[in-house]
Amino acid sequence: MALAPDPMGVALRRGLTHAGLFLGLLLLWETSARLGWLNPLFYPRPSDILLSFGRIYVTQGNVWYHLYVSLGLVFTGFLAGSILGVALGSLVGLNPTVRRFLQPYVIVLEATPRIALAPLMIAALGFGAPSKIAIIMLVCFFAPFINTLSGVINVNEEKLELFRALGASKWQILRKLVLPDAVPVIMAGERLALTAALSGVLVAEFIQRDKGIGSLILTYTRNLNMASAFACIFTLTIVGFLIFKGMEWLDRRIAYWNHDADMARVSARRKARWEAR
Amino acid sequence: MLRRALPHLAIFAAILGLWEAAIATGLIRSIMVPPPSAVMAAMVKLYLVEGTIYRHFFITLWESVSGFAIGAGIAIALATGSALWEPFRRYVTPYAIVLNVTPGIALTPVIIAWFGYGIGSKVALAAVLCFFPIFVNTLTGLTRPDRDREELFRQLGASDAQLFFKLRVPAALPLMFAGLKIGLTTALIGAVVAEFSQATEGVGVLMSRFSFQLNMGASIATLLSMTAIGLLLFYSMEFIDDRMVFWRREARREAASRARARAWKARRGD
Repeated sequence: MALAPDPMGVALRRGLTHAGLFLGLLLLWETSARLGWLNPLFYPRPSDILLSFGRIYVTQGNVWYHLYVSLGLVFTGFLAGSILGVALGSLVGLNPTVRRFLQPYVIVLEATPRIALAPLMIAALGFGAPSKIAIIMLVCFFAPFINTLSGVINVNEEKLELFRALGASKWQILRKLVLPDAVPVIMAGERLALTAALSGVLVAEFIQRDKGIGSLILTYTRNLNMASAFACIFTLTIVGFLIFKGMEWLDRRIAYWNHDADMARVSARRKARWEAR
Repeated sequence: MLRRALPHLAIFAAILGLWEAAIATGLIRSIMVPPPSAVMAAMVKLYLVEGTIYRHFFITLWESVSGFAIGAGIAIALATGSALWEPFRRYVTPYAIVLNVTPGIALTPVIIAWFGYGIGSKVALAAVLCFFPIFVNTLTGLTRPDRDREELFRQLGASDAQLFFKLRVPAALPLMFAGLKIGLTTALIGAVVAEFSQATEGVGVLMSRFSFQLNMGASIATLLSMTAIGLLLFYSMEFIDDRMVFWRREARREAASRARARAWKARRGD
């Protein structure tokens, strides 16, 4: 082994091993399916999944519409649910009396699997988009609510003392101390909520199968077209990954003071503006 | 105690009263939101008169607990392997991340096709859903370095096994239990969602059956039984957590030390 291994070479070698292992797994899967060890009816071959990707995206192109429908629901429900969560969370967090009386309900709600309310929502609101959005709102509401609540409650006592000693008004304390400290926690809650929204739309679409990616998966599975079902599931993997990355980006934009590089960028911009003035 | 509970109870009663009144006067349609009296009647019927819910209750409980046990077992084994052996971690992590960003619920129809309409598919979905939080928390806990303590252990001549069991495992336990608590909740979600999709028994089936019959009182009563399962699971895990991570709370730590002192004395034959 060299005394100073060059990092590029190591990264390349590791990447190659990863790719090799992955290809090896795929090959094993493919051959075992071809040799009939795995029932192709239930366990699709990787090559079939690839072909299905081509079919649902290019030749038939039917996945785009369903993806559009589902993601529209996800973002509508997410926005409504998380805005409600943050608003109620800050309301409750800033008011100790309300907090005390709401606590038991919060504990009970936290233990209930919220997604279990899905059939109830459909029964109450009927088939169609409103009940699906209501289900997504329901699963999105809780994480931002709890995180906002804890973010607002857990104020740094020493900083608060300093703010009071310097004669800060209530509004200044909220705007300059409580909110900046709470935002990273709230953003973590939003991240959880968006992931939950994706699960929520799937459950809603499984129960009322008309359109959307969830109903597409269900239809393909019922027809034992497993390769296409898997292509849809891997599509959701990509969507999930993009959502994850998007939330990370948003977090860096909104809570920039938590990341050194972004803090430096923002302060450089502010300095430039200040000097120009 | 009673004095503090009284305002809570008064508010609860007032909410129920207003709710009942709103429906009685037709402000809210009872088909959308059932009146509390209907929920109460359904609860009496389901829990006392007919007693039908208990079977479903225990089936769902069993599904989520066994799914959780399988998922947690695999997750903890993989996390321990990854923590102990660096190359293994490098090769497992990408797959774990892919599993994490995929909404596990999307696998519901596939898992039902694979494991059948019986209890197996519910257990499997519960196991898949609870895997990731447990895996990631255990791995983070085990790999969180505490350089000073590690150095101390090394200097006192601790073996690798001692270093692992006496330093890294205790340091990882609080985080691991946090993951286990999340995992239990998601396992329950997995069992219920799988029951919605395809099942003949379990509270999820009752829930969707009552909802589609527009029997709203009974479906809220069923929902409360899911809350009961959730609370039961969460507090049992909390109890185990409190026993295992005894050093977190002063009172528990003292109790544990007393027990150890007693065991020590008994062994010496005092």
